[in-house]
Amino acid sequence: MRLERVGRRHGLRGPWVLREVSLDLPAAGLVRVTGANGTGKSTLLRLLAGIDAPTEGRVTGRPARTAYVPERFPAALPFTAADYLVHLGRIQGLGRAAARTRAGDWLERFGAAGHARTPLAELSKGTSQKVAVAQALLADPALLVLDEAWTGLDTGARAELDTAVRERLTAGAAVVYVDHDPRRLAGEADALYGVEAGRVRPVRETPAAPARPLVRITASGSRPLPARLPGDPVAEPVPGHDGRAARRPPGEPGTGLAPGDDGRVAHTAAPGALVLTVDAAHSDALLGVLLAEAWHIDHLESEGVRV
Amino acid sequence: MTALLRYQSGLLLRSQRWLAPLLLYVAIVGVGVRAGEPVLGALGLTAAALLPVAAWSVRICVTQEPPAARNVVAAAAGRGRTHLAALLTGTAWPALVGTVAVLVVTALSDRRGVTALAAVSTGVLAALTCALTGAAVGALSSRPFLPAPGWSLTVLVLGCLLALVTTGSPAKHAMTTLVTGARTATAHPPALACAGALLLVAAAAALSSRATARLE
Repeated sequence: MRLERVGRRHGLRGPWVLREVSLDLPAAGLVRVTGANGTGKSTLLRLLAGIDAPTEGRVTGRPARTAYVPERFPAALPFTAADYLVHLGRIQGLGRAAARTRAGDWLERFGAAGHARTPLAELSKGTSQKVAVAQALLADPALLVLDEAWTGLDTGARAELDTAVRERLTAGAAVVYVDHDPRRLAGEADALYGVEAGRVRPVRETPAAPARPLVRITASGSRPLPARLPGDPVAEPVPGHDGRAARRPPGEPGTGLAPGDDGRVAHTAAPGALVLTVDAAHSDALLGVLLAEAWHIDHLESEGVRV
Repeated sequence: MTALLRYQSGLLLRSQRWLAPLLLYVAIVGVGVRAGEPVLGALGLTAAALLPVAAWSVRICVTQEPPAARNVVAAAAGRGRTHLAALLTGTAWPALVGTVAVLVVTALSDRRGVTALAAVSTGVLAALTCALTGAAVGALSSRPFLPAPGWSLTVLVLGCLLALVTTGSPAKHAMTTLVTGARTATAHPPALACAGALLLVAAAAALSSRATARLE
């Protein structure tokens, strides 16, 4: 997705909010936008989501399946939470049955299943925000734009939204977000942009102190793994894997870790078994990918906090 | 588009905002049309009363969502398409009500010299002409062009009056056809006026749908 010398002002003669914004966003990856209040972060996100058209310049290559979560969603609409989500799911191209099922699933994940039949106007601020987040995730968007979407959510729902974002990234989608908590998905962004006085510039992320726990996953399998794994784990062959191989049930495919026919690169190593070291934050997503590729998890350990 | 229309119709019907324009329409037609009066004159009033009702209904549809909800839908379906869906919903429901009203009025009126079919086709075309002209007035007098409610309502009321009396307006043309037809008891379906109204509302809708992502 590409922004070429994009500018945006309110109305015909309003002051310029953004000017001369040229960005080249990857089709997949996490993009963080930072900046003080009132600098134009939300305007940039609205341009990216296709809600506003640029006053000058142009935006090209926006994926068709785009979803947006506003910071506040005080939606006084005459629908129940579930009915609203079904409407939004259908607008995003889902069938009625699929929309209903997914609406239920996402409300359940965010802990709002009990409010499915509550009219939107009667929901609390936090539960409204859960509905706003759920609508964005219904139809597996290729571009997800989150404008302080975590604000107002309870702790469980915030963690769930972090997980959902990582799932979208694993599925090859792009996620653009703004959040005032610097720890939000810290160190995971592929690109970082700062908005200041109407201009957007790439920012180098301050190297976060690597005080995050690591998880070591020992896994074995025969299928080649995707080239890009969640959290970019360090992959090493199992040290002294003879003993480990002996423990494997007989007849199990444990060799032949060659690059796949479909061009996917295997993390080449000792036949069959790998030790993958990854941030604890990404370990769930990585395990998900391994299990989806029919790999066996032989061992799982936490490395503790490195200071 | 079907999903957007269903969503917009759901908003309109469940919010009960449709009730006020419908009551206005029923009141005008109920007071103005007497059972047994000449059919074409009665149909003229039935159609003319639809113009302000359609303009009001379009204004309701483009303003009924809170901005946050509108943005969410715009990201999913595109700002222009979302706005167009609101305009279509606001036009289609009054057009439907007007068609029903034409059928009822034709059944209750004196049809001497005019066949029921001719009366219904003339009435439906006149009602459509007025509904489409009213929709164009509604689209041009609300957001994104006039977001402030005071100005918007003022321009809407004035626009409706002008659309009914100005020579060259499709609605006025259809009314004239009906009134002259009523004198001679001959029904001339105002097809040309209806086509003109269709062009007018298409231009208004295209302008307003394109402007919404730029002006707001």
